[in-house]
Amino acid sequence: MKKYALFLGCMIPQRLPSAELATHKVFNSLGLEIAEMTGYTCCPDPILARLMDRKVALSMSARNLSIAEGQGLDVVVLCNGCYETLWEANEFMKRGETSREINELLAKVGRKYNGTINVRHVVEVLHEDVGIEAIKNQVKKPLGLKLAVHHGCHLFREENGRDIWRKPKQFEELVSATGAEVVRSDVDQLCCGFPTSHVDEEFSLKHNLLPKLERYQHIGVDGIVVVCPACNVQFESGQLALRRYSAKFSIPCLHLVELLALAFGAPSKELSLEFHRSPVSQLVARIG
Amino acid sequence: MMEEAEIVELLEKNIPDGLLSVVTPRVRKVSAEIAPAIIRKAAETLLGKGARLIIIAAVDAGLDIDLLYHFDLEGKVVVLRVKLGKEKPEIDTVADLTPTAEWAENEAAELCGVRFRDHPKPGHLVLSDKLPEGTFPLGKPFKSKLPDEIGPVAEAVITVGATAPISSLMKRRRVEAGLPPQPPASYSNESQLKEVHELIRQTNFSRQAGYDWKRKKLRGVKK
Repeated sequence: MKKYALFLGCMIPQRLPSAELATHKVFNSLGLEIAEMTGYTCCPDPILARLMDRKVALSMSARNLSIAEGQGLDVVVLCNGCYETLWEANEFMKRGETSREINELLAKVGRKYNGTINVRHVVEVLHEDVGIEAIKNQVKKPLGLKLAVHHGCHLFREENGRDIWRKPKQFEELVSATGAEVVRSDVDQLCCGFPTSHVDEEFSLKHNLLPKLERYQHIGVDGIVVVCPACNVQFESGQLALRRYSAKFSIPCLHLVELLALAFGAPSKELSLEFHRSPVSQLVARIG
Repeated sequence: MMEEAEIVELLEKNIPDGLLSVVTPRVRKVSAEIAPAIIRKAAETLLGKGARLIIIAAVDAGLDIDLLYHFDLEGKVVVLRVKLGKEKPEIDTVADLTPTAEWAENEAAELCGVRFRDHPKPGHLVLSDKLPEGTFPLGKPFKSKLPDEIGPVAEAVITVGATAPISSLMKRRRVEAGLPPQPPASYSNESQLKEVHELIRQTNFSRQAGYDWKRKKLRGVKK
Protein backbone atom coordinates (compact mmCIF):
# COMPACT_ATOMS: atom_id res chain seq x y z
CA MET A 1 0.00 0.00 0.00
CA LYS A 2 1.53 3.30 -1.09
CA LYS A 3 1.76 5.85 1.71
CA TYR A 4 2.00 9.66 1.65
CA ALA A 5 2.41 12.42 4.21
CA LEU A 6 -0.71 14.56 3.81
CA PHE A 7 -0.07 18.30 3.97
CA LEU A 8 -3.44 19.88 4.76
CA GLY A 9 -2.25 23.48 4.80
CA CYS A 10 -4.22 26.33 6.39
CA MET A 11 -7.28 26.77 4.22
CA ILE A 12 -8.67 23.25 3.99
CA PRO A 13 -9.02 22.53 7.72
CA GLN A 14 -10.50 25.98 8.34
CA ARG A 15 -12.60 26.69 5.27
CA LEU A 16 -13.05 23.40 3.44
CA PRO A 17 -12.94 20.40 5.82
CA SER A 18 -15.19 18.53 3.39
CA ALA A 19 -12.14 18.19 1.12
CA GLU A 20 -10.22 16.73 4.06
CA LEU A 21 -12.96 14.16 4.58
CA ALA A 22 -13.17 13.38 0.88
CA THR A 23 -9.41 12.87 0.62
CA HIS A 24 -9.53 10.17 3.28
CA LYS A 25 -12.43 8.45 1.54
CA VAL A 26 -10.88 8.62 -1.93
CA PHE A 27 -7.43 7.49 -0.80
CA ASN A 28 -8.97 4.68 1.19
CA SER A 29 -11.00 3.53 -1.83
CA LEU A 30 -7.86 3.54 -3.97
CA GLY A 31 -5.75 1.66 -1.44
CA LEU A 32 -3.53 4.63 -0.61
CA GLU A 33 -2.42 5.29 2.94
CA ILE A 34 -2.14 8.71 4.56
CA ALA A 35 0.15 9.78 7.39
CA GLU A 36 -0.46 12.96 9.36
CA MET A 37 2.19 15.66 9.45
CA THR A 38 2.27 16.52 13.13
CA GLY A 39 3.29 20.09 13.86
CA TYR A 40 3.17 21.40 10.32
CA THR A 41 2.84 25.13 9.69
CA CYS A 42 1.53 27.20 6.82
CA CYS A 43 3.47 26.20 3.70
CA PRO A 44 3.77 29.39 3.83
CA ASP A 45 1.36 31.21 1.54
CA PRO A 46 2.90 31.57 -1.94
CA ILE A 47 1.93 35.19 -2.52
CA LEU A 48 1.91 37.29 0.63
CA ALA A 49 3.95 35.26 3.11
CA ARG A 50 6.69 34.47 0.64
CA LEU A 51 7.01 38.16 -0.21
CA MET A 52 7.55 39.06 3.45
CA ASP A 53 10.90 37.44 4.01
CA ARG A 54 12.81 34.83 2.03
CA LYS A 55 14.50 33.24 5.02
CA VAL A 56 11.39 32.87 7.14
CA ALA A 57 9.44 31.45 4.19
CA LEU A 58 12.12 28.96 3.19
CA SER A 59 12.84 27.84 6.73
CA MET A 60 9.14 27.22 7.41
CA SER A 61 8.80 25.25 4.17
CA ALA A 62 11.94 23.25 4.90
CA ARG A 63 10.70 22.52 8.41
CA ASN A 64 7.46 21.17 6.93
CA LEU A 65 9.42 19.03 4.49
CA SER A 66 11.62 17.73 7.32
CA ILE A 67 8.50 16.42 9.09
CA ALA A 68 7.62 14.28 6.06
CA GLU A 69 11.24 13.30 5.51
CA GLY A 70 11.36 12.11 9.11
CA GLN A 71 8.56 9.70 8.18
CA GLY A 72 10.32 8.69 4.98
CA LEU A 73 7.34 9.78 2.91
CA ASP A 74 6.65 12.00 -0.07
CA VAL A 75 4.32 14.92 0.63
CA VAL A 76 0.93 15.08 -1.06
CA VAL A 77 -0.84 18.45 -1.18
CA LEU A 78 -4.43 19.36 -1.96
CA CYS A 79 -3.72 23.00 -2.74
CA ASN A 80 -2.01 24.67 -5.68
CA GLY A 81 -0.44 27.33 -3.45
CA CYS A 82 0.99 24.79 -1.03
CA TYR A 83 2.24 22.83 -4.02
CA GLU A 84 4.16 25.73 -5.50
CA THR A 85 5.62 26.86 -2.20
CA LEU A 86 6.74 23.44 -1.04
CA TRP A 87 7.85 22.26 -4.47
CA GLU A 88 9.99 25.34 -4.99
CA ALA A 89 11.40 25.16 -1.47
CA ASN A 90 12.30 21.53 -2.13
CA GLU A 91 14.17 22.58 -5.27
CA PHE A 92 15.98 25.39 -3.42
CA MET A 93 16.96 22.97 -0.68
CA LYS A 94 18.77 20.85 -3.23
CA ARG A 95 21.17 23.74 -3.80
CA GLY A 96 24.20 23.57 -1.54
CA GLU A 97 24.37 27.18 -0.41
CA THR A 98 20.64 27.59 0.34
CA SER A 99 20.48 24.19 1.99
CA ARG A 100 23.40 25.09 4.29
CA GLU A 101 21.90 28.49 5.14
CA ILE A 102 18.44 27.13 5.94
CA ASN A 103 19.70 24.00 7.69
CA GLU A 104 21.75 26.23 9.99
CA LEU A 105 18.47 27.80 11.10
CA LEU A 106 16.69 24.44 11.35
CA ALA A 107 19.55 23.06 13.46
CA LYS A 108 18.76 25.68 16.09
CA VAL A 109 15.39 23.99 16.63
CA GLY A 110 16.81 20.49 16.33
CA ARG A 111 15.79 19.80 12.74
CA LYS A 112 17.48 19.05 9.44
CA TYR A 113 16.17 18.63 5.91
CA ASN A 114 18.25 16.50 3.56
CA GLY A 115 16.12 16.94 0.43
CA THR A 116 15.34 13.25 0.00
CA ILE A 117 11.58 13.45 -0.59
CA ASN A 118 9.28 14.72 -3.32
CA VAL A 119 6.38 17.15 -3.20
CA ARG A 120 3.40 15.81 -5.13
CA HIS A 121 0.13 17.45 -6.04
CA VAL A 122 -2.89 15.24 -5.42
CA VAL A 123 -3.53 15.43 -9.19
CA GLU A 124 -0.13 13.85 -9.89
CA VAL A 125 -0.61 11.16 -7.27
CA LEU A 126 -4.03 10.19 -8.61
CA HIS A 127 -3.04 10.34 -12.26
CA GLU A 128 0.47 8.89 -12.13
CA ASP A 129 0.53 6.61 -9.10
CA VAL A 130 -3.04 5.34 -9.34
CA GLY A 131 -3.89 5.84 -13.00
CA ILE A 132 -7.01 6.78 -14.90
CA GLU A 133 -8.17 3.18 -15.40
CA ALA A 134 -7.99 2.43 -11.69
CA ILE A 135 -9.94 5.62 -11.00
CA LYS A 136 -12.57 4.64 -13.55
CA ASN A 137 -12.83 1.22 -11.93
CA GLN A 138 -13.84 2.86 -8.66
CA VAL A 139 -16.59 5.00 -10.20
CA LYS A 140 -19.90 3.69 -8.92
CA LYS A 141 -21.97 6.68 -10.00
CA PRO A 142 -20.89 8.08 -13.37
CA LEU A 143 -21.48 11.81 -13.18
CA GLY A 144 -23.50 13.05 -16.08
CA LEU A 145 -22.46 16.60 -15.39
CA LYS A 146 -21.14 19.43 -17.49
CA LEU A 147 -18.23 20.87 -15.51
CA ALA A 148 -15.87 23.78 -15.87
CA VAL A 149 -12.34 22.99 -14.74
CA HIS A 150 -10.52 25.84 -13.09
CA HIS A 151 -6.90 24.68 -13.06
CA GLY A 152 -5.57 27.50 -10.87
CA CYS A 153 -2.41 29.47 -11.62
CA HIS A 154 0.05 27.53 -9.47
CA LEU A 155 -0.90 24.19 -11.00
CA PHE A 156 1.07 25.32 -14.04
CA ARG A 157 4.27 25.47 -11.95
CA GLU A 158 6.57 23.00 -13.61
CA GLU A 159 10.17 21.94 -13.70
CA ASN A 160 12.18 23.81 -16.34
CA GLY A 161 11.78 22.18 -19.73
CA ARG A 162 8.71 20.15 -18.82
CA ASP A 163 5.23 20.71 -20.22
CA ILE A 164 3.36 23.24 -18.10
CA TRP A 165 0.11 21.61 -19.21
CA ARG A 166 1.13 18.26 -17.70
CA LYS A 167 -0.79 18.63 -14.43
CA PRO A 168 -3.70 20.71 -15.84
CA LYS A 169 -4.32 17.99 -18.45
CA GLN A 170 -4.08 15.31 -15.78
CA PHE A 171 -6.66 17.25 -13.78
CA GLU A 172 -9.04 17.36 -16.75
CA GLU A 173 -8.58 13.63 -17.39
CA LEU A 174 -9.38 12.87 -13.76
CA VAL A 175 -12.60 14.91 -13.99
CA SER A 176 -13.50 13.11 -17.23
CA ALA A 177 -12.85 9.76 -15.52
CA THR A 178 -15.86 10.43 -13.28
CA GLY A 179 -18.08 10.43 -16.35
CA ALA A 180 -18.45 14.21 -16.33
CA GLU A 181 -18.00 16.35 -19.42
CA VAL A 182 -15.18 18.88 -19.13
CA VAL A 183 -16.25 22.13 -20.75
CA ARG A 184 -13.40 24.29 -22.05
CA SER A 185 -13.68 28.04 -22.41
CA ASP A 186 -11.46 31.02 -23.11
CA VAL A 187 -11.51 32.11 -19.47
CA ASP A 188 -10.10 28.84 -18.10
CA GLN A 189 -6.65 30.30 -17.55
CA LEU A 190 -7.82 33.55 -16.04
CA CYS A 191 -6.84 33.75 -12.35
CA CYS A 192 -9.79 33.43 -9.95
CA GLY A 193 -8.61 36.64 -8.28
CA PHE A 194 -7.87 35.26 -4.83
CA PRO A 195 -4.34 36.72 -4.54
CA THR A 196 -5.37 40.21 -5.63
CA SER A 197 -8.39 40.15 -3.30
CA HIS A 198 -5.99 40.81 -0.41
CA VAL A 199 -5.08 44.20 -1.78
CA ASP A 200 -8.06 45.19 -3.94
CA GLU A 201 -11.17 43.08 -3.48
CA GLU A 202 -13.27 45.04 -5.97
CA PHE A 203 -10.64 44.64 -8.67
CA SER A 204 -10.33 40.90 -8.06
CA LEU A 205 -14.11 40.45 -8.18
CA LYS A 206 -14.75 42.55 -11.27
CA HIS A 207 -11.68 41.76 -13.35
CA ASN A 208 -11.05 38.13 -12.46
CA LEU A 209 -14.05 36.40 -10.99
CA LEU A 210 -16.88 38.16 -12.81
CA PRO A 211 -15.74 37.36 -16.38
CA LYS A 212 -15.21 33.74 -15.44
CA LEU A 213 -18.61 33.35 -13.81
CA GLU A 214 -20.36 35.15 -16.67
CA ARG A 215 -18.81 32.78 -19.18
CA TYR A 216 -19.53 29.66 -17.13
CA GLN A 217 -23.13 30.78 -16.67
CA HIS A 218 -23.46 31.46 -20.40
CA ILE A 219 -22.11 28.00 -21.21
CA GLY A 220 -24.50 26.52 -18.67
CA VAL A 221 -22.11 24.46 -16.58
CA ASP A 222 -23.41 22.42 -13.66
CA GLY A 223 -20.45 23.37 -11.54
CA ILE A 224 -16.81 24.34 -11.29
CA VAL A 225 -14.11 21.91 -10.17
CA VAL A 226 -10.92 23.16 -8.54
CA VAL A 227 -7.82 21.66 -6.96
CA CYS A 228 -7.07 24.58 -4.70
CA PRO A 229 -9.00 25.68 -1.59
CA ALA A 230 -8.07 29.32 -2.17
CA CYS A 231 -9.69 29.22 -5.61
CA ASN A 232 -12.67 27.46 -4.04
CA VAL A 233 -13.06 30.18 -1.42
CA GLN A 234 -12.79 32.85 -4.10
CA PHE A 235 -15.45 31.20 -6.27
CA GLU A 236 -17.80 30.75 -3.33
CA SER A 237 -17.32 33.88 -1.23
CA GLY A 238 -16.84 35.84 -4.43
CA GLN A 239 -20.29 34.88 -5.74
CA LEU A 240 -21.77 36.25 -2.53
CA ALA A 241 -19.62 39.39 -2.64
CA LEU A 242 -20.56 40.09 -6.25
CA ARG A 243 -24.16 40.62 -5.17
CA ARG A 244 -22.96 44.01 -3.90
CA TYR A 245 -22.43 44.88 -7.54
CA SER A 246 -25.78 43.43 -8.63
CA ALA A 247 -24.21 40.35 -10.18
CA LYS A 248 -26.05 37.21 -9.11
CA PHE A 249 -24.68 33.74 -9.69
CA SER A 250 -25.52 30.37 -8.28
CA ILE A 251 -22.80 28.06 -9.56
CA PRO A 252 -21.60 25.19 -7.33
CA CYS A 253 -17.88 24.84 -6.82
CA LEU A 254 -16.08 21.88 -5.31
CA HIS A 255 -12.67 20.25 -5.01
CA LEU A 256 -11.61 17.38 -7.26
CA VAL A 257 -11.37 14.96 -4.32
CA GLU A 258 -14.99 15.74 -3.40
CA LEU A 259 -16.09 15.11 -6.97
CA LEU A 260 -14.24 11.79 -6.98
CA ALA A 261 -15.73 10.81 -3.63
CA LEU A 262 -19.22 11.45 -5.02
CA ALA A 263 -18.42 9.46 -8.14
CA PHE A 264 -17.03 6.63 -6.00
CA GLY A 265 -20.46 6.46 -4.39
CA ALA A 266 -19.82 8.17 -1.06
CA PRO A 267 -23.12 9.49 0.34
CA SER A 268 -23.07 13.28 0.17
CA LYS A 269 -24.02 13.49 3.87
CA GLU A 270 -20.82 11.70 4.81
CA LEU A 271 -18.83 14.35 2.97
CA SER A 272 -20.27 17.27 4.96
CA LEU A 273 -20.65 19.32 1.80
CA GLU A 274 -22.57 21.93 3.78
CA PHE A 275 -19.18 23.51 4.52
CA HIS A 276 -19.42 24.95 1.02
CA ARG A 277 -20.86 28.40 0.52
CA SER A 278 -21.97 27.70 -3.03
CA PRO A 279 -25.02 25.54 -3.86
CA VAL A 280 -23.18 22.22 -4.02
CA SER A 281 -26.45 20.54 -2.96
CA GLN A 282 -27.82 21.61 -6.35
CA LEU A 283 -25.05 19.63 -8.04
CA VAL A 284 -25.55 16.64 -5.73
CA ALA A 285 -29.26 16.65 -6.61
CA ARG A 286 -28.38 16.39 -10.30
CA ILE A 287 -26.20 13.37 -9.60
CA GLY A 288 -29.13 11.76 -7.85
CA MET B 1 46.77 53.95 21.66
CA MET B 2 43.71 51.72 21.97
CA GLU B 3 43.13 49.28 19.13
CA GLU B 4 39.62 48.39 17.87
CA ALA B 5 39.75 45.01 19.62
CA GLU B 6 40.63 46.71 22.89
CA ILE B 7 37.61 49.03 22.54
CA VAL B 8 35.40 45.97 21.98
CA GLU B 9 36.91 44.38 25.07
CA LEU B 10 36.34 47.59 27.05
CA LEU B 11 32.65 47.57 26.17
CA GLU B 12 32.25 43.85 26.81
CA LYS B 13 33.90 44.18 30.20
CA ASN B 14 32.11 47.29 31.43
CA ILE B 15 28.61 46.93 30.01
CA PRO B 16 28.17 43.16 29.68
CA ASP B 17 24.46 43.10 30.43
CA GLY B 18 23.13 45.72 28.05
CA LEU B 19 25.59 45.17 25.22
CA LEU B 20 23.43 43.55 22.52
CA SER B 21 26.07 43.29 19.80
CA VAL B 22 29.41 44.76 18.89
CA VAL B 23 31.35 44.62 15.63
CA THR B 24 34.29 46.33 13.93
CA PRO B 25 32.89 46.94 10.43
CA ARG B 26 36.11 48.52 9.20
CA VAL B 27 39.41 49.91 10.36
CA ARG B 28 39.08 52.67 13.00
CA LYS B 29 35.39 51.98 13.60
CA VAL B 30 33.53 50.07 16.30
CA SER B 31 29.74 49.73 16.21
CA ALA B 32 27.74 48.50 19.16
CA GLU B 33 24.05 48.14 19.86
CA ILE B 34 23.14 48.66 23.48
CA ALA B 35 19.99 48.61 25.59
CA PRO B 36 18.57 52.08 26.37
CA ALA B 37 18.90 51.44 30.11
CA ILE B 38 22.70 51.42 29.99
CA ILE B 39 23.34 54.52 27.90
CA ARG B 40 24.80 56.46 30.82
CA LYS B 41 27.05 53.59 31.88
CA ALA B 42 28.23 53.13 28.28
CA ALA B 43 28.89 56.85 27.82
CA GLU B 44 30.74 57.02 31.15
CA THR B 45 32.88 54.05 30.09
CA LEU B 46 34.00 55.75 26.88
CA LEU B 47 34.29 59.24 28.33
CA GLY B 48 36.37 57.78 31.16
CA LYS B 49 38.91 56.67 28.56
CA GLY B 50 39.16 60.18 27.14
CA ALA B 51 36.57 59.82 24.36
CA ARG B 52 34.65 62.83 23.10
CA LEU B 53 31.07 62.80 21.90
CA ILE B 54 30.97 63.89 18.26
CA ILE B 55 27.22 63.88 17.63
CA ILE B 56 24.01 62.05 18.35
CA ALA B 57 22.05 61.24 15.21
CA ALA B 58 18.38 60.33 15.51
CA VAL B 59 16.71 58.25 12.80
CA ASP B 60 13.01 57.46 12.78
CA ALA B 61 12.87 53.85 11.54
CA GLY B 62 9.08 53.51 11.67
CA LEU B 63 8.59 51.33 14.73
CA ASP B 64 11.64 52.58 16.61
CA ILE B 65 13.82 55.63 16.78
CA ASP B 66 17.48 54.78 16.42
CA LEU B 67 19.82 57.03 18.37
CA LEU B 68 23.40 56.83 17.14
CA TYR B 69 25.87 58.20 19.66
CA HIS B 70 29.12 58.84 17.79
CA PHE B 71 32.26 59.03 19.95
CA ASP B 72 35.84 59.68 18.97
CA LEU B 73 38.23 57.58 21.00
CA GLU B 74 41.86 58.08 20.10
CA GLY B 75 41.07 58.51 16.41
CA LYS B 76 38.58 55.66 16.25
CA VAL B 77 34.85 56.23 15.76
CA VAL B 78 32.77 54.33 18.27
CA VAL B 79 29.05 54.29 17.49
CA LEU B 80 26.58 53.27 20.15
CA ARG B 81 23.19 52.45 18.62
CA VAL B 82 20.16 52.56 20.88
CA LYS B 83 16.70 51.53 19.69
CA LEU B 84 13.84 53.33 21.37
CA GLY B 85 10.39 51.87 20.82
CA LYS B 86 8.06 54.60 19.60
CA GLU B 87 5.43 53.50 22.10
CA LYS B 88 7.53 55.44 24.66
CA PRO B 89 10.64 57.01 23.12
CA GLU B 90 12.45 57.99 26.31
CA ILE B 91 16.04 57.72 27.46
CA ASP B 92 18.29 59.19 30.16
CA THR B 93 20.19 62.31 29.20
CA VAL B 94 23.96 62.23 28.94
CA ALA B 95 24.14 66.03 28.68
CA ASP B 96 25.38 66.29 32.26
CA LEU B 97 28.24 63.90 31.40
CA THR B 98 29.33 65.68 28.23
CA PRO B 99 28.13 69.17 27.22
CA THR B 100 28.20 68.24 23.52
CA ALA B 101 25.10 66.14 24.11
CA GLU B 102 23.01 69.12 25.20
CA TRP B 103 22.20 70.52 21.75
CA ALA B 104 22.27 67.10 20.08
CA GLU B 105 19.64 65.81 22.46
CA ASN B 106 17.52 68.92 22.01
CA GLU B 107 17.70 68.42 18.25
CA ALA B 108 16.65 64.75 18.47
CA ALA B 109 13.84 65.76 20.81
CA GLU B 110 12.35 68.43 18.60
CA LEU B 111 12.85 66.74 15.24
CA CYS B 112 11.97 63.14 16.14
CA GLY B 113 10.12 63.34 19.46
CA VAL B 114 12.62 61.64 21.78
CA ARG B 115 12.25 62.57 25.45
CA PHE B 116 15.59 62.84 27.25
CA ARG B 117 14.97 62.33 30.95
CA ASP B 118 16.56 64.93 33.27
CA HIS B 119 17.90 67.02 30.40
CA PRO B 120 19.37 70.16 32.02
CA LYS B 121 18.03 72.60 29.41
CA PRO B 122 15.04 71.14 27.54
CA GLY B 123 13.48 73.24 24.80
CA HIS B 124 13.60 74.01 21.11
CA LEU B 125 16.90 74.28 19.30
CA VAL B 126 16.19 75.12 15.67
CA LEU B 127 12.41 75.13 15.40
CA SER B 128 9.93 77.76 16.49
CA ASP B 129 8.56 77.63 20.00
CA LYS B 130 5.16 78.22 18.39
CA LEU B 131 5.22 74.80 16.70
CA PRO B 132 2.17 72.81 17.86
CA GLU B 133 2.98 70.25 20.53
CA GLY B 134 3.62 66.76 19.20
CA THR B 135 4.83 67.96 15.78
CA PHE B 136 8.09 66.32 14.83
CA PRO B 137 9.34 67.21 11.34
CA LEU B 138 11.49 64.09 10.92
CA GLY B 139 8.95 61.77 12.50
CA LYS B 140 7.46 59.01 10.37
CA PRO B 141 4.22 57.01 10.76
CA PHE B 142 4.35 54.41 13.52
CA LYS B 143 4.51 51.31 11.31
CA SER B 144 6.88 48.63 10.11
CA LYS B 145 8.29 48.39 6.61
CA LEU B 146 5.76 45.71 5.75
CA PRO B 147 2.91 46.89 3.51
CA ASP B 148 -0.32 47.27 5.50
CA GLU B 149 -1.99 44.49 3.53
CA ILE B 150 0.66 41.97 4.58
CA GLY B 151 0.42 42.85 8.28
CA PRO B 152 -2.40 40.45 9.21
CA VAL B 153 -0.74 37.59 7.32
CA ALA B 154 2.61 38.25 9.00
CA GLU B 155 0.96 38.42 12.41
CA ALA B 156 -0.91 35.14 11.89
CA VAL B 157 2.15 33.33 10.56
CA ILE B 158 4.33 34.47 13.47
CA THR B 159 1.67 33.90 16.14
CA VAL B 160 0.37 30.48 15.16
CA GLY B 161 2.38 29.44 12.10
CA ALA B 162 -0.71 29.58 9.92
CA THR B 163 -2.51 32.11 7.78
CA ALA B 164 -5.91 30.67 8.68
CA PRO B 165 -6.02 29.08 12.14
CA ILE B 166 -9.13 27.25 13.26
CA SER B 167 -11.90 29.30 14.82
CA SER B 168 -13.87 27.93 17.76
CA LEU B 169 -16.98 27.68 15.55
CA MET B 170 -15.09 25.65 13.00
CA LYS B 171 -13.72 23.37 15.71
CA ARG B 172 -17.30 22.49 16.65
CA ARG B 173 -18.34 22.02 13.04
CA ARG B 174 -15.33 19.80 12.35
CA VAL B 175 -16.23 17.54 15.26
CA GLU B 176 -19.83 17.34 14.02
CA ALA B 177 -18.44 16.27 10.64
CA GLY B 178 -16.45 13.47 12.26
CA LEU B 179 -13.08 15.20 12.08
CA PRO B 180 -10.75 16.06 14.97
CA PRO B 181 -11.42 19.62 16.21
CA GLN B 182 -8.08 20.75 14.83
CA PRO B 183 -5.68 19.35 12.26
CA PRO B 184 -2.24 18.26 13.50
CA ALA B 185 -0.85 21.72 12.76
CA SER B 186 1.66 23.58 14.92
CA TYR B 187 -1.08 25.60 16.59
CA SER B 188 -2.63 22.41 17.93
CA ASN B 189 0.45 21.50 19.93
CA GLU B 190 2.23 23.75 22.42
CA SER B 191 5.71 22.26 22.03
CA GLN B 192 5.49 22.36 18.23
CA LEU B 193 4.34 25.96 18.32
CA LYS B 194 7.22 26.83 20.64
CA GLU B 195 9.60 25.32 18.08
CA VAL B 196 8.03 27.39 15.29
CA HIS B 197 8.35 30.55 17.37
CA GLU B 198 12.02 29.82 18.01
CA LEU B 199 12.62 29.24 14.30
CA ILE B 200 10.97 32.55 13.43
CA ARG B 201 13.01 34.36 16.08
CA GLN B 202 16.16 32.87 14.55
CA THR B 203 15.29 34.33 11.15
CA ASN B 204 15.05 37.81 12.68
CA PHE B 205 11.82 38.35 10.76
CA SER B 206 9.72 39.02 13.85
CA ARG B 207 11.97 41.94 14.74
CA GLN B 208 11.80 43.40 11.24
CA ALA B 209 8.03 43.01 11.19
CA GLY B 210 7.81 44.60 14.63
CA TYR B 211 6.16 41.65 16.36
CA ASP B 212 5.64 42.07 20.08
CA TRP B 213 6.07 38.57 21.55
CA LYS B 214 4.53 39.57 24.90
CA ARG B 215 1.40 41.12 23.47
CA LYS B 216 1.33 38.62 20.60
CA LYS B 217 0.64 41.24 17.98
CA LEU B 218 2.40 43.51 15.56
CA ARG B 219 3.54 46.86 16.87
CA GLY B 220 2.49 50.04 15.16
CA VAL B 221 -0.72 51.74 14.23
CA LYS B 222 -2.97 49.68 11.99
CA LYS B 223 -5.18 51.13 9.31
